[in-house]
Amino acid sequence: MRIQYIFSLIFFAFISVSYGQIENLKTHTQMNLDCKKCHICDTPTKANPCLILCPRNKLKVVRHLPEEGPENLTIDKISSDEDLYGPVNFTHKLHSEMSLMSGGCSICHHFNPPGKIVKCSHCHETARDRKDKTKPDLKAAFHRQCMDCHKSWEEKTECESCHSLNSKKIESTVKIKAEKVHPEVKIPQRVIYETDYDEGSVVTYFHNDHSSLFNLECSDCHDQESCANCHAEIRLESIKADPHERCSTCHDTENNCNKCHKSEIARPFDHKIKTGFDIATYHSDLSCAECHKTQNKFSGLKPDCVVCHSTSDGYFNHSITGIKLDETHVEFYCENCHQDKDYSRKPICNECHDDDISFPTSIPGERIK
Amino acid sequence: MSQNRREFLKTIAAIGASTAAISSVTPKKTIAKTEPFLSEDRKGVLVDTTVCIGCRKCEWACKGAHGFEQGDFENYQNDEILNVQRRPSTNNLTVVNKYIDEGTRTVKMQCMHCEHPACVSACIVGAISKKENGSVVWDTDMCIGCRYCMVACPFQIPAFEYYKALDPKIVKCDFCIERTSEGKLPACVNICPVEALTYGTRNELIDEAKRRIKNHPDKYFDHVFGEYEVGGTSWLYLADKNLAGNVFPKLGNNTAPGVSESIQHGIFAYFVPPIAVYALLGGIMWLTKEKETKKENK
Ligand code: SF4
Ligand code: SF4
Ligand code: SF4
Repeated sequence: MRIQYIFSLIFFAFISVSYGQIENLKTHTQMNLDCKKCHICDTPTKANPCLILCPRNKLKVVRHLPEEGPENLTIDKISSDEDLYGPVNFTHKLHSEMSLMSGGCSICHHFNPPGKIVKCSHCHETARDRKDKTKPDLKAAFHRQCMDCHKSWEEKTECESCHSLNSKKIESTVKIKAEKVHPEVKIPQRVIYETDYDEGSVVTYFHNDHSSLFNLECSDCHDQESCANCHAEIRLESIKADPHERCSTCHDTENNCNKCHKSEIARPFDHKIKTGFDIATYHSDLSCAECHKTQNKFSGLKPDCVVCHSTSDGYFNHSITGIKLDETHVEFYCENCHQDKDYSRKPICNECHDDDISFPTSIPGERIK
Repeated sequence: MSQNRREFLKTIAAIGASTAAISSVTPKKTIAKTEPFLSEDRKGVLVDTTVCIGCRKCEWACKGAHGFEQGDFENYQNDEILNVQRRPSTNNLTVVNKYIDEGTRTVKMQCMHCEHPACVSACIVGAISKKENGSVVWDTDMCIGCRYCMVACPFQIPAFEYYKALDPKIVKCDFCIERTSEGKLPACVNICPVEALTYGTRNELIDEAKRRIKNHPDKYFDHVFGEYEVGGTSWLYLADKNLAGNVFPKLGNNTAPGVSESIQHGIFAYFVPPIAVYALLGGIMWLTKEKETKKENK
């Protein structure tokens, strides 16, 4: 009995791995992985891979783009004459798009090793009456996976939201569902938080700046949302327990409190007001990181301006700034005038000139704009 | 109504028991031992309430398997009924109730198929019996409708056909004995969409339950309800909260039969002249003997 059980486990593990290995031999060896993540023994072989049982999130998982998967799927693997309900038309792409904001592919594909996506039926048996009781059967696996989210936000168990009753002899409800897409999510312009921080209780969060100006993807911040955050009758608190957690990825929330905590509602970020350089005309499509050295320190600029603004011999075309350098100055390195390659600061002249010469009273060439 | 009668019977029983104690008639306490005939592979069901979605498909299938009127299938979608605390009844051998206590959970109830069933000990005509495979079943022909089993059952499971004027009987979940003897799964286990009900040998289910608790300590309350309660039950429960004292009554690990037998003996000791007891006991012996002879003849 016990031996049979172990044997079936090993057999099962063998199948899944040999299958996986053929598919991913290349990726497998290239992976920078600790073998012990998936294998129990020291020398896993093809014949005896000694995989840990259903490793779930301990495993190295892969992410795919929603477009890489199928658009829609029909789940009809487990149909029988006794079935009360018809097959399910599953809107895979729509669900995988939603998963970007709630944990990625692995919230459903919990066994998600690199290589070809492993089918649910690979591990979950179709028969309910079976030896291995450690994993739910296929029907239960499907239902649990769906109900886990659907129940949390619908709080209902309406079977017909996903499949129609066979006795009704209609397929339409499911067909319509297959075409349904998630309505557009309204992105707030700004969110104002009242906090209990004495020296500045108001935090103004400019959502649109973060999402469009700073080019952040929704999932950069919202990666652990659940449908229930928006859909449940009683809305769950979508912000994490410590509201600083999200901000601290980019902002120094330990020391720099007054950057966000103000006594009144803050004004939105304006590059011209803040730095004097108007990015609205030509640079509005660039993400901050394309010009600035580090994402959350916007002081230094990358010397990459030459990528777009170069002269025929490959140097920076200074005329683009509105000042055409004269014959002498055009020979200098950028940092001769722009200290520390910080182009947001005023250039210095006193390395070569006396103190009576300074920018912008004197100009190292001619102003052309 | 049924509750009142049940309460009434319980009160009578309690009075009987206390009077018995007062009149210093020492009630005979039988502590049930492990039944020697029980199979090592006796069956059970592990109910994982953390995955149950309260769809009541089990109720529907159970009715169907026992030839009861199932009613309109779509009515089962109405989950408001979950908020009403129902008990298994004569035409509904299992019910799913919703319990709210720091979160909600839906729990399916039916006979627990106790390892040492109080109902079996309480039945004066031996109509209820524990089978080798773990199920507790009863013989309608033998049932005299005395309802002792109802009083004795720690889970208030047996239901009584009060609506029948003539020859009313006791009804409860029979662990789908007909289906299982044909090698099929119990109807409720078979239909459950999320496999909240796992059928297997009691021993392997206890191992599996403990494995789940060990692997997901954040998900489960660390207790397998039914492993030891009232001496153990065939149906075992896992939940995110302690079910004892909320969904189920708080029960000790002692077998219930001892309790019920003292109730019975108490009643007889006080109300009935000894000669009548002997006559009755003789009757029981005769009945049991007849049953055994019948069995032997089979
Ligand atoms: S069929 Fe399963 S999920 Fe549905 S109510 Fe019954 S036990 Fe719960
Ligand atoms: S739960 Fe009640 S009816 Fe069922 S076996 Fe136990 S004592 Fe008997
Ligand atoms: S085991 Fe059979 S009789 Fe008991 S509740 Fe399930 S379906 Fe009903």
